[in-house]
Amino acid sequence: MSTWKKWPHDEKIRQTYYIREELNFLIRKFFRNKKFHEVETPILLPALIPESYYEYFKTHLLDRNLQKKTLFLSASPESSLKKLLTAGFGNCFEITKSFRNTEIGSNIHNPEFTMLEWYMVNADYKNSMDLLKNLFQYLIVNLRKKKLLPHFKGNLLPYNNLEIDMSRWEKISIRKAFNKYCGIDFNSLVDKNANSDNDIFSVSLIKTIARKKGYLVDRKNTWEEIFNQIYLNEIEPNLGIDHPTIIYDFPKPLAALAKLKSDNKLFAQRFELYIGNLELADCYTELDNWQEQQIRFDNDQYLRKKCKKYEITPDSEYIAALKKGLPDSSGVALGIDRTVMLFAGVEKIQDTLFFPLDY
Amino acid sequence: MGKISTSDFQKGMFIEYRNDIHQITEFQHVNPGKGSAFIRTKLRNVKSGNAFEFTYKSGESVNEVSVYTREMQYLYKDESQYYFMDKSSFEQYSLSKNLIGSFGNYLKEGAQYQIYIHDNRPIGLRYPKKVKLKVSEADEATKGNTVGGAKKTVKLESGAAVQVPLFIKKGDLIAVNPDTGEYLERVNE
Repeated sequence: MSTWKKWPHDEKIRQTYYIREELNFLIRKFFRNKKFHEVETPILLPALIPESYYEYFKTHLLDRNLQKKTLFLSASPESSLKKLLTAGFGNCFEITKSFRNTEIGSNIHNPEFTMLEWYMVNADYKNSMDLLKNLFQYLIVNLRKKKLLPHFKGNLLPYNNLEIDMSRWEKISIRKAFNKYCGIDFNSLVDKNANSDNDIFSVSLIKTIARKKGYLVDRKNTWEEIFNQIYLNEIEPNLGIDHPTIIYDFPKPLAALAKLKSDNKLFAQRFELYIGNLELADCYTELDNWQEQQIRFDNDQYLRKKCKKYEITPDSEYIAALKKGLPDSSGVALGIDRTVMLFAGVEKIQDTLFFPLDY
Repeated sequence: MGKISTSDFQKGMFIEYRNDIHQITEFQHVNPGKGSAFIRTKLRNVKSGNAFEFTYKSGESVNEVSVYTREMQYLYKDESQYYFMDKSSFEQYSLSKNLIGSFGNYLKEGAQYQIYIHDNRPIGLRYPKKVKLKVSEADEATKGNTVGGAKKTVKLESGAAVQVPLFIKKGDLIAVNPDTGEYLERVNE
């Protein structure tokens, strides 16, 4: 039965909705108190930041002569918000819908979902870690005041048979996580003496490790694909279990739009937050070097072609904005629906949406 | 044994994982930060009954294990096993509790079920889409409320508890989805 039809008889659905309503209100209050401006940016975009992994929704704008122009539904408000930063807008946030095609058949994905994304200038990802933690503490205190977290006891948030200690936030680097959970020294996955990225992040080195662990590898697999499989099987199940986990410093192939670390160019200033084993947020120190960004654009376009994903128009206006100058800044993308799942004690994202897409 | 890919996965299918036969009990798609897609699968080892998760790369090659089904009658259970009988040969087979899983709550003594066989060994029970069971315990219904959609909990002859509409009473025969535990409809005998 669709979620909206359950409204009259399902107390849990009602509670889940009231938590979402309160969350929206509290997030706005939190950022207003910190003097961040709320912005609205388009969902319909003529060009995108090419990322090799997303499948986009595509549509057509018709002009008065019914001539078609391709438009895409945005997968994240990132490019628009960062353009505003280059125009000197300052600290800002947006609560919006984002769209990712093919993300169906999962308890934690809906192709249309609600995203909170914020940007702080004169800040880096470490500042974002603090702000994110403050946000969660603020949300918990105020949800409790409204009696919306009746099962929260002491510092423990119950979720999916877990008891999460919200007062103790764990921070672990990817490198340390590989050591701790996979017994792998990250140095064995890279050839530091090589010159190009393809040779440094050597696919044959990581294949050797993967084969030893019993994974199946073939000629088509990339370094990053094998890295992800090991990460998903051996590291991710341990994150955000007893307490929130911030996992940080991602290897360069997974840098996305993050700046590389100044003291170690193999890793990027990026982190993800897990609570209750749910991946809730993603954050970068934003890449401001337009040449580096162009190289990553080109690489992602190449990967998209290789994986036979359909063509997208790369956002040259974004590169132009970076040329003008992006202030030192850091942004965070937080999945609102998953945050609702966590606070409402619900295991399927579909149960936080009145009209989930499902087939 | 046939080679299949993750795109052929179906719930209930039997595959080879690390040289042992496992049943796929659930699977879903996972998209990590970059590049490729993955399939997170819940597997159950048919020998040990041990359940765990494994994430495959999308499109990864997997050996499917061919099984056939044989109809057997459910006899009884003890602490660790459920006992079935092949009515044509009168041979008895047992399946461990963790291979039966939650379906154990819906088994009716004397009824027929489809058992998966591989190498002449039973390795699982095929969950039917619907089971028909009698209500063994029910509180008095409040005035026949069929419209509101309000529910109450009743106990079935197999031991399972189920949420049903208020008009269902003790002795009624109802149909339930054993996978979700949801009430489907009242059945006329």
